[in-house]
Amino acid sequence: MKGEVRVIKLVLSGWLIAIVGFQFFSYLLEVNYSELLLSDLTFFNLPIQFWLSGQLLPLWFIVLCALFNFWMDRHGVQSQEGSLRFRLKPDSEEDD
Amino acid sequence: MAEGTIQLLPLAIVVALFAVLILSGLRNRKRHATEYGFRGNYAGRIGIGAGIASNWMSSASFLGLAGIFYLKGYFAMAYVVGWTGGYVLLLVLIATQIRRFGKFTAPDFVGFRYESEGARTIVAVISIVITVIYCVAQFRGIALLVSWLFNIGYIPAVALGTSLFVSFVVVSGLMGTARNQKMQYFVLITTFILPLMVLTRKLGYFWILPQFGYGEAIGELQQQFGVNWSEPFADTSLFQWFALCFSMMFGTAGMPHVLSRFYMTPGIRDARWGVVWGLFFIALIYWSAPAYGVLARLIEARHALPFNAGGIDAADLIVLSVASLGGLPTWLVGLLAAGGMSAAFSATAGLLMTGSASFSYDIYPRLIRPNATESDKIFAAKGFFLLLAAIVMVLTFRPWGMIVEIAAFAFALAGNTIFPAFLLGIWWPRTNATGVICGMLTGLAISFSSLLCGSSLPFISTLFPSTSSALVGAPLVMLVMVAASSLSSPPSEAVRLFLTRQVHDCPEE
Repeated sequence: MKGEVRVIKLVLSGWLIAIVGFQFFSYLLEVNYSELLLSDLTFFNLPIQFWLSGQLLPLWFIVLCALFNFWMDRHGVQSQEGSLRFRLKPDSEEDD
Repeated sequence: MAEGTIQLLPLAIVVALFAVLILSGLRNRKRHATEYGFRGNYAGRIGIGAGIASNWMSSASFLGLAGIFYLKGYFAMAYVVGWTGGYVLLLVLIATQIRRFGKFTAPDFVGFRYESEGARTIVAVISIVITVIYCVAQFRGIALLVSWLFNIGYIPAVALGTSLFVSFVVVSGLMGTARNQKMQYFVLITTFILPLMVLTRKLGYFWILPQFGYGEAIGELQQQFGVNWSEPFADTSLFQWFALCFSMMFGTAGMPHVLSRFYMTPGIRDARWGVVWGLFFIALIYWSAPAYGVLARLIEARHALPFNAGGIDAADLIVLSVASLGGLPTWLVGLLAAGGMSAAFSATAGLLMTGSASFSYDIYPRLIRPNATESDKIFAAKGFFLLLAAIVMVLTFRPWGMIVEIAAFAFALAGNTIFPAFLLGIWWPRTNATGVICGMLTGLAISFSSLLCGSSLPFISTLFPSTSSALVGAPLVMLVMVAASSLSSPPSEAVRLFLTRQVHDCPEE
């Protein structure tokens, strides 16, 4: 439970920082420099703010979900192994 | 195409596509038990993902998103980020845990967790209201497509679209077709991206990946025509952007028909991995939607046409207009229309069935006819389905915004009511029935506040705009839930033990 909550906090931190950070980055660029600089800053053909919000953020969300699932898969297996061992212990003691 | 004539080839393509979907549904019915991950294999998870994506795709994604990009440029990115980022919230905070409750609908979950028939009834009513609002957006999409296909006015198109939709559901139901969701998704993605690739190629941009190719169009629009379409916060504030984005996220995690996907998948691991695939499939469409918006602006500029001459109706149909203006062959434009119609029909059918199930299962036997038999409930569900379709049709005659704006209102309502009820219900054992009832009623009031008193109290419209009320609304509802729960008696020991032992500390299935 504690481990799961820790992973959830990490995933949500990565989620929130990326969303808020990219928007503030675009906003500060627009306010402090000029719209022309924004359109000159391109990545993969796209203005930087379009690439960050429109392409990278959805991809980042997929990565976050995949990382969470990898952790849950591993954690789930460990929990099941733990509960199996717990259930099997009395039998093995009897065998001894 | 001559004025006043029916678009025959596109109409034939729409009819053919629906015939193929029905036939595939009939074939799918026979082998349904082996589909969608019963065996937990790799293909099964992709199938679940395709199911999630096809269930999600509606006329808001297919038609409306491009329209709002065309009108508002970067501001529309809040929908893309909101509707994809919401799945992260859903996966880590809700989806994994609600499986452990073993309940099959949102009212079931709330009724069990909060041990309250009142809370259950309120959620059922809210689910129906969300269904109606979201369906208005879908019916608007259907009506605009029907209006374009048959070359008739908007009001007759709403009536004809409703008749076609109800006939489609009745025919599908009579024939016992099962939805082949993998095929449905394949149809949607093909009909959306293939015309875009051809259009990008015709305009001379990088067409193999039009999701990147449209960047050159943004540059040309600015340099040749002085239109700064990509400027991020030119007409809107940072707060408005975040308010819309987070409202869409909270709404995604609270939409009853989205949540229901996780009750139905046989295994929790497959359900979790299905979200990743589903998000990828959804992102494929959302990576592409801005391209239609900017290409429309560019083609208009090249043809010296006035911007948005046709108002919001034209903006909602921009996907078809840009394809026609760009010189795509009629069959490709028909393919786009068929994809849009299929997305709207499938989303509306799923939503109305969820709404009528809420009535026949959660309201009818509890409040109207306590001794109702199973056949009474089925009869009530069918009748309520038709009643909901009629209500939605009447509301669609005078829609209050663009397709995505109407859909956004439904999302904000879900974000203000069902999302806090689920979130605190899962993660704070002290939440009780009084808390959830007070919270959901507050959420309802917040969601409708802008429509009811926004004109007399301007700060209400600023804080709780109808499309974006959940950024401030959802935390406020949670505060109300915490305060009301703390001031009343805690939930039963059985529920708290269930949460501790079964929900938060149990190994996965």
